[in-house]
Amino acid sequence: MSERTLAAAPSRRWALPPLARLRGMALRWTSPLVLLALWEIIGRLGLVRPFLLPPLESVVARLGEDIADGALLNNAAITLYHALAGFVLSVAIGVPLGLLIARRRAFRWFCEPVVSVGFPMPKIAFLPIFMLWFGVFDLSKIVMVTFSTVFTVIAAADAGARGVETRLVWSAQSLGARSLAVFWEVALPASMPQILTGLQVALPQSMIIAVGAEMLMGGAGLGGAMMQAGSYADAVGVYAGIVETAAVGMIAVVLMARLRAWLLRWHAEFNPR
Amino acid sequence: MRTFVRYAPLLILAVLWEAVTRLGLVSVQLLPPLSTVLASFASLVSDGSLLGNGAQSMLRAVAGLGAAIIVGFILGAGMALRPRFEATVGPLVELFYPLPKSALIPLVMVWFGLGDMAKGFLIFLGCLLPVVLGTYNGLRGVDHVLVWSAQSLGASRRAVLREVLLPAAMPQILTGLRTAVAFAFLLMVASELIIANNGLGFLIGELGDNGAYPPMFAVILTVSALGFFADRGFVLLSDRLLRWRE
Amino acid sequence: MTDNSLGIDIAHVSHGYEPKNGPPVRALQDVSLTIPANSFHALLGPSGCGKSTLLFLVGGFLRIQSGSIRTVRGEVTAPGPERGIVFQNFALFPWKTVKQNVLYGIHKCGLRGTEADQRAQHFIDLVHLSGFEASFPSQLSGGMQQRAALARTLATDPDILLMDEPFGALDAQTRRIMQEELLSIWRASQKTVVFVTHDVAEAVYLSDTVSVMTARPGRIRQQVEAGFNRQTDTDVFKLPAFIELVEHVWELVRGEVDEARRQGF
Repeated sequence: MSERTLAAAPSRRWALPPLARLRGMALRWTSPLVLLALWEIIGRLGLVRPFLLPPLESVVARLGEDIADGALLNNAAITLYHALAGFVLSVAIGVPLGLLIARRRAFRWFCEPVVSVGFPMPKIAFLPIFMLWFGVFDLSKIVMVTFSTVFTVIAAADAGARGVETRLVWSAQSLGARSLAVFWEVALPASMPQILTGLQVALPQSMIIAVGAEMLMGGAGLGGAMMQAGSYADAVGVYAGIVETAAVGMIAVVLMARLRAWLLRWHAEFNPR
Repeated sequence: MRTFVRYAPLLILAVLWEAVTRLGLVSVQLLPPLSTVLASFASLVSDGSLLGNGAQSMLRAVAGLGAAIIVGFILGAGMALRPRFEATVGPLVELFYPLPKSALIPLVMVWFGLGDMAKGFLIFLGCLLPVVLGTYNGLRGVDHVLVWSAQSLGASRRAVLREVLLPAAMPQILTGLRTAVAFAFLLMVASELIIANNGLGFLIGELGDNGAYPPMFAVILTVSALGFFADRGFVLLSDRLLRWRE
Repeated sequence: MTDNSLGIDIAHVSHGYEPKNGPPVRALQDVSLTIPANSFHALLGPSGCGKSTLLFLVGGFLRIQSGSIRTVRGEVTAPGPERGIVFQNFALFPWKTVKQNVLYGIHKCGLRGTEADQRAQHFIDLVHLSGFEASFPSQLSGGMQQRAALARTLATDPDILLMDEPFGALDAQTRRIMQEELLSIWRASQKTVVFVTHDVAEAVYLSDTVSVMTARPGRIRQQVEAGFNRQTDTDVFKLPAFIELVEHVWELVRGEVDEARRQGF
């Protein structure tokens, strides 16, 4: 019988010989480094007014200051708090609701049109309403993030649960699973790939909204700090803020990808045959 | 009739909104009755402020989005078809991908001041990546067998691109464009709220600052409706373009 | 016939459905069939003849529209663990390992702890999957996935085993091996098996009785006694009697295949 064992199939990237790997890494870093070099050269030669493009070294120096005096850690923590609290809330609401919409007719009738209208709306426009209702502090920022991302999560869970194979449900039923068990033990895990794809969209969304809401409402956080720098014409502060925000965003994206790989370790995507 | 039944839940929500405010369950300061909001909508239309600001907003959104689609498609296709180009541009795309787009608002303010250019450029930058990634992934994902069969049937390089690669990549390209449309609205409103001198976002902010809540709700609903119909129109268009699927 | 020897009694079952686009379909028309306990019964016919529909009705997955289906436990109304099913595409839970898949039904029966564990291990060993307990289905070949699915179903000890073209997705060699192994498991276990297939030789090789079904609307055209499944040592496929019977059944099926093709399948 032609049955293959895949106990220790090495991932393709590490199968490359070391030299080729080194070359690949060098290639990846070439253009970002060239870009940084250009930035520095332009700054040194004074080709562009420093206000538009402050010298690389002053931005790096500012980053160092922000790290040293704890401003970066503080602002990043606050922004992450807004983004993640809103995101978690949106997952807690969106996943069960999406599954219910897919698998319970009454929910589908009521929620489907609401979601189909809510999904493409520019939700940021509701920000003044949330300011009116919840003030300008943490709560309204978190609610804004949840409201902006929850439709993405609902749509992903709905699409995932709708695509669940009937045979899987039948298998569970014939093995003795009741209706509620089918919901949690079959519909939820079977929708996991699509739910996680949705979350991979929703997490960057919540970062965008958290930063944007901080800019609009002021207060601490990366967005607030950048807005302040912008209004004081502190170009170095703006550039440093962008680098900091990008770094935080990068960490969030990478962690989410890790989480996906771990939760879907059973999936064919991570078990190439 | 079918549309009516389908959207009946929205009607229920609207009636509920009117009811809770009329019955005094919610303060009209926090939530003006729907009928009042609709009345302010009518007066906003008749005094021309909605149309004027709306036109300015839409002009910026369309300009930024249009530029992003053209540049993004070229970049994405170049990355997918030219390995050397991919090695140059790919890492930069990867680097900018996780940057929350709203962080660019202060940057465009520094570059372009508080004018139209700042907002248009912001929309352009924000919409660029979804288009690039949609095009790139779409073209890269095309099954080699399709290309080979076209080549063996005698198709030239150009014909393969036009008749095989593009149609096969179209679903993903359109998915990228749909995300870009949503981003265009998001960034349009956000930038107008922050860099406030005209446009629908500016109108929302100004009405809110003056405590004129019924018209503020009216403009917010208008923006939402615009976003909704833009997306619906786009979905209809892509369904037409993708008739061959199923 | 005493009640204990009853496997499945299908009486006057008709079934239709309305596809989203197209005219209503009569899948089954007045099907009656009695399958004795512990026998191996094949449902054979062209695609679209409703043989899978009949199997799903016995499984309780589809609502019975007219007629009735009875087992020794009474009227069929819903899925139940006394009627285990194996699907063509395995329908393993892809997020569970082989062991966790097999344990799923055992846990549903109320068995826990080491007892459940030993039971799962027994059936994993039975289908020769020892060593792959911790593998996910996506890491296994088609044949191994089908073994896991079989173990999962057998582990709840159903009286009746419903099999919907279970070897249809496997390559020819794997299919032969799986057929032999299924027979030896069946001979040792005393279960009633209903086996849906469109492969004539497979049906004749495996079953006590082959029911040849007509093209849509599906009916039982004829029942043919086979019974080669009780022989263990000779190579059945070379027996003249076997070849002759396959030929005979093929003639019966051929007319239906032509009819099905005329209907556009």
